[in-house]
Amino acid sequence: MAAGADADTAADVEAHSDVWVFVEQHAGDVAGVTWELLGKGRELADQKDEDLVALVMGEAVRETDIPEEAIARGADRVLVADDPAFEPYRADPYGEQFRHLVEVRKPDIALIGGTHTGRDFAGRVAVPTHAGLTADTTELEITDEQYEMRRPAFGGDALATIICPNHRPQMSTVRPGVFDAPEPDESQEGAVEDVEVVVGEDETLTEVLEREVGDVADITDAEIVVAGGMGLEGDVDPLWDLADLLGGEVAATREVVEEGWIEPARQVGQTGKTVRPKLYIAVGISGAIQHVEGMDDSETVIAINNDANAPIFENADYGIVADYADVLPELIEILRERLDAQEVTA
Amino acid sequence: MTDGWNIVVCVKQVPDADEVSIDPETGILNRADAEAVMNSPDYNAVEAALEVRDVVGGTVTAVTMGPASADEVLQVAVGMGADNAVLLTDRAFGGSDTWPTSLALARAAEELDADVVFGGEETTDSSTGQVPPGIAAHNDWAQLTYVEGLEPRPEEDRLVAKRDVEGGYERVAADLPVVVAMEFGENEPRTAGLHRKIYAETDFEPVEWSAADIGVEDEVGLAVSPTQVGGMATAEPVPREQEMVEGVEELADHIVEVL
Repeated sequence: MAAGADADTAADVEAHSDVWVFVEQHAGDVAGVTWELLGKGRELADQKDEDLVALVMGEAVRETDIPEEAIARGADRVLVADDPAFEPYRADPYGEQFRHLVEVRKPDIALIGGTHTGRDFAGRVAVPTHAGLTADTTELEITDEQYEMRRPAFGGDALATIICPNHRPQMSTVRPGVFDAPEPDESQEGAVEDVEVVVGEDETLTEVLEREVGDVADITDAEIVVAGGMGLEGDVDPLWDLADLLGGEVAATREVVEEGWIEPARQVGQTGKTVRPKLYIAVGISGAIQHVEGMDDSETVIAINNDANAPIFENADYGIVADYADVLPELIEILRERLDAQEVTA
Repeated sequence: MTDGWNIVVCVKQVPDADEVSIDPETGILNRADAEAVMNSPDYNAVEAALEVRDVVGGTVTAVTMGPASADEVLQVAVGMGADNAVLLTDRAFGGSDTWPTSLALARAAEELDADVVFGGEETTDSSTGQVPPGIAAHNDWAQLTYVEGLEPRPEEDRLVAKRDVEGGYERVAADLPVVVAMEFGENEPRTAGLHRKIYAETDFEPVEWSAADIGVEDEVGLAVSPTQVGGMATAEPVPREQEMVEGVEELADHIVEVL
């Protein structure tokens, strides 16, 4: 029965090749996760001995640096779908264009950033292509038998391996910060190709009335992260003081972001960003597994919490049981003196 | 259009996220002890559906897919104020990943002649967020995800939403029918009134539809699901020093060491 049902929907697996990366761009600004995906995509394409293809959609994107930068970061080919219907992003025209390209060009693997835009896009396009889609993958590996997409399950206690044996493309979303972005190498060569645009404005179902986007903080590249949790009770200023002193970035748990104390772009954890700094200072963070998942690749973790039983201490290298309001001002003062002293001796 | 909108809200029964655990010795998931509850982001979806109905008029129908016992989450939605409920239940649905799941919900929404379909941001047991866009894609309808607020415009047959995008927001107008995924925590879900709650838990009976009732009996289940779980491993904890320090000076020492 399974075989019969499969026969109707399964793809001709052998006919599919190449690794595609969806280039998420908004008005010419490329989401950083795109470059991280090109890094991982290059590895996968090399292993398969196939091409790494970057897909750029937007208006007048051909005239931007984006195609060249995609090549400098590893793409063999760049497909450009250029049309006013693609700016700003909307799921319906993007979805229809992607469906068409997949049907004609048959990619084997597709990688999409796990941002709001990327997840909106991925969920839309997986259906008409009958692709297998795995959300929030953290490991992607081609084994002897198959392509394995791994993702945290049950709040990070487990790692599930997802396979997609009979359908193509094998798609996954990846949160920002999971993979390393390659530095651009201007000597890399690749081809840029304009593709046929199959959607027009009169067929769209949505209209963007207004779009307000400020500077988006990127905490995923920070070497030092000072993160705050509910223990701060909204008193986030000392976090900024400490981060400024150390040249780091401020981050927060989901609850803190939901309270509106810190902006969403700085959220670390299962539904936010993954960070891997040299130093992660967790202040007033209990250490719920959903948060730890986004920071446990940090080299050194320091925890400040007034609850000796907080799970964050099990995930920390050095911890102090104390009230943040007592510790932070003193810590900032001591560090300022030491850093000043270092500068003098240097 | 003056008689209001047909509003559908999709809800899911999940194991209580706080009670699911992995046995550290065996690596086996301990799911049986966890109470079955309504997925917490779905409360925001039900609330949004009721708020739109309050403005535009019409009806709210809660839909879930699951075993017979999943009617408990329909009772929650009806207790909060949903008018009707549909339980999609059939052994044929077993093993469905997000592709056939969103197909079944899409067919149910068509059957209900939906103007707006609501869903939560994602489920706490599988965290994909793929079902609302999947419903929209199956029906070729508009989709609005990560929605923070809604402005219904019944006179234009459109729904305007404020969406959370990286670093800001956008306002998008969508033609009906439209699928909306509410951002978790963006509204204050109402509590069920006592009489309504008693009605939902005693007299109320949801409509039951099988896979054949919505014409998807050959298109759902494990066999047509593109993805399969190939294995499950316990995540290795990252080794940490776990050293407690007594004073702030010592804490500063460790920080300077790293710098």
